[in-house]
Amino acid sequence: MSTENILEVKNLKKYFPIKGGFFGGVTGHVKAVDDVSFTIKKGTTMGLVGESGCGKSTTGRTILRLLEKTEGDIIFDGKDVSKLDKKELRELRTKMQIIFQDPYSSLSPRLPIGEIIGEAVREHKIVPESEYDEYISKVMKECGLQEYHKDRYPHEFSGGQRQRICIARALALKPEFVVCDEPVSALDVSIQAQIINLLKQLQEDRGLTYLFISHDLSVVEHISDTIGVMYLGNLVETGNTEDIFANPLHPYTKALFSAIPMPDPEIKKDRILLQGDIPSPANPPAGCKFHTRCSQCMEKCKKVAPVPKDMGNGHVVCCHLYDEK
Amino acid sequence: MENTNVENKEMTLDDAARVKVLSPGMMVFKRFIRNKLAIVGMVIIVFMFLFSFVGGLLCPYSQSQVFYTTDKILKDYAGATTIDQYQIQQKEGAELPSDIYSKTLIAASTGKYVFETRKGDVMGLGNVGDGVYVIYSLQSVNMLLRKNADYDAAVAAGENFFTDSKGDTYLFQDTGAANPDVYGATELGVAAMKSFTAYDKNTKFSYDFYRGALVAMANGENSFEADGKTYTVDGEVVSADGAEYAFVSDLNFNAANAGVFISPAYKNAAMEAVEAGQSSFTFADENGEEVEYVIENKNGQYTFRKYQETRVIDTYARPSKEHWVGTDANGMDLLARLMYGGRISLLIGFVVIFIEVFIGMIMGGIAGFFGGWVDNLIMRFVDVVYCIPTMPLYLILGSIMDYYQASATTRIYMLCVIMAVIGWVGIARIVRGQILSLREQEFMVAAEATGISTYRRIFKHLIPNVVPQLIVFASMGLGDVILAEATLSFLGLGIKYPAASWGSIINAVNDSYVMSNYVFVWLPAGLFILLTVLAFNFIGDGLRDAFDPKMKR
Repeated sequence: MSTENILEVKNLKKYFPIKGGFFGGVTGHVKAVDDVSFTIKKGTTMGLVGESGCGKSTTGRTILRLLEKTEGDIIFDGKDVSKLDKKELRELRTKMQIIFQDPYSSLSPRLPIGEIIGEAVREHKIVPESEYDEYISKVMKECGLQEYHKDRYPHEFSGGQRQRICIARALALKPEFVVCDEPVSALDVSIQAQIINLLKQLQEDRGLTYLFISHDLSVVEHISDTIGVMYLGNLVETGNTEDIFANPLHPYTKALFSAIPMPDPEIKKDRILLQGDIPSPANPPAGCKFHTRCSQCMEKCKKVAPVPKDMGNGHVVCCHLYDEK
Repeated sequence: MENTNVENKEMTLDDAARVKVLSPGMMVFKRFIRNKLAIVGMVIIVFMFLFSFVGGLLCPYSQSQVFYTTDKILKDYAGATTIDQYQIQQKEGAELPSDIYSKTLIAASTGKYVFETRKGDVMGLGNVGDGVYVIYSLQSVNMLLRKNADYDAAVAAGENFFTDSKGDTYLFQDTGAANPDVYGATELGVAAMKSFTAYDKNTKFSYDFYRGALVAMANGENSFEADGKTYTVDGEVVSADGAEYAFVSDLNFNAANAGVFISPAYKNAAMEAVEAGQSSFTFADENGEEVEYVIENKNGQYTFRKYQETRVIDTYARPSKEHWVGTDANGMDLLARLMYGGRISLLIGFVVIFIEVFIGMIMGGIAGFFGGWVDNLIMRFVDVVYCIPTMPLYLILGSIMDYYQASATTRIYMLCVIMAVIGWVGIARIVRGQILSLREQEFMVAAEATGISTYRRIFKHLIPNVVPQLIVFASMGLGDVILAEATLSFLGLGIKYPAASWGSIINAVNDSYVMSNYVFVWLPAGLFILLTVLAFNFIGDGLRDAFDPKMKR
């Protein structure tokens, strides 16, 4: 595993304007991603976990510039993604790919599979024209699809197969970095395992780097090298998978992990139940954003936003509990 | 390995050899042809097309060809009246008083043959034969009639006059008396209830001829002499030198139309028929054809009528061999008009929908794809167009075209353009909505993420997904357009005479008499509109169901 950083995200912010009022002016912002920083090393997988609506997918899409960031830097392979012009962006598209959550809506229903996978390959001239057919077949086989599937249409496939098609589409461009935006959450458990194993297999074969977005902690544990926990647009805790699972520091992470169902009914767990709903990202609480639901909330938490602290071995937490006293 | 196991399983379930690969288009087609109603609709539309476009070619008539028919109408040929007044012929150089007609009538009917005219002249009638009188001017003379041989002969013959050996003519009154009054008589003319017609139009009858003929006929003689010529009498016909010369009748004939010469032969035939009490008779016309004449008698006024063939426009002819659906108010073949009208109705439907789809797709596509202020601008414009009350607009435009006397083709073009300009907004909304929803679909985001060009994104990913909705909407809309065109034509604003459309054919029901009595004029066109619109709706429904991915197979 190399130590080279393939992606650096620094203070990334993505605000969505709220339009309202009689003249349609901007009356506020939904702070979907609010000051997020992390790095991913080449060939590793970073899991991004958090509740629904905490900004995981927005982070992923902003990195790919499918959404324009509001502030911050995204440095991919030494280049600032947000400063690329159109031509450079097109080149970048082949290096960074995305796999979507819903394999049903992410395939155009009127194109055959071969065309869906090969379309961009031809457009970017990934392989010479003469090797095109062979290459598509090869990619399809790699992703567990049969060659004769080429002429079929998405409606003829099951959810798992569709997700394989999505993976094939992404990998056909020979990317270095793939954002997996909850790629398995729409699938049933047995298929989830297949897809996860496929992704792992492909990572080993091709040396891919993943940003694996999920709210399923067991999946993330299985696939990730590092984990980032997001809450309301903030990255509250990052670190190696082992460290975080062994020793979750942030109260939110603790609460999240306590919710993982155990397959053994003998084990009694102390579940930390979070009170109330996630606050609106348009009007986040002052201070620590989690303080409204935190069981260990202090007076300081309500006023001062905590800063990330490295607790050793790259385990970074963002909580006043670990302030040096 | 876990992976390969699963793959094998999938292969057996989804074997290439077992499952036939169908493109979405083929799937749609397959589902469509399984829809019975849609097939019925399809068959109707195909029939309508064949009927209109091929039928129009096969039909021997054109849409504006007017048909005529010959109709036999009884027309007056001649009139005749029984002569009930004495026709008086003056002797050359003689002068008759103005009241001679009435005096003659009185004298002849009373038998008092000597009378005095208003002027005081004494005149008398000599009864030369039955109903034939010679008019004399009388002077009183003293003459003893006893032992007068001429007188005796006259009395014996039942006459009231005689001519003595000197050639003087005397008239006497009171035949039975011992001493009747005697007058010296000078001939002035002859009176009889007869009319003379010459066989040769140029013939002028002389007085002698008249007198001779009348006397001869009254006395049943076969011949007489006049002006040194011998004439033979055969019934009412007088011949000279073996040729028919004059016809004498009891009836006075008049031609119904000016310039028609009623021949004596015709008069003869007519009179014979009248005398025989027939209600009709035949007479050969100039071409030798026997023509039947109908006699009508009204108080001695006879009218002779014959059937005459007249060319008239064949209006509202019932369905027949020549005109399968009959003819309309202008005598045009309805079948041909239905065919040509079908062309226009269908053509307008397709042209309008084509323009609507074209404008609607571009405008809706731009609005949906680019969004923002462009979307806002276009959609507000669409709202404005939606607010235009269409019927009043059509009425105004229709009357404007009337004012400028636009030709039939111009009207068709204008109608297409106007209907399309009003109608595209519905399609624009559909396309925009569809594109807005598609734009947010993950496959569009995925297409963006793979970095393919905007052009390909629009034409490969977006448009093919809008097309099904568009086809459904267009096929449903076709029916509406045809209905709208029919409505406009029905109101007289759309297609105008001589061009036909189904709507303008139905326009005939404006006349309630036509509506109730000539059902064949408007019913077929109405049925055609009904069937066509129904068929398009069936097809639209079928397509919608066929495009619906939830409908399996």
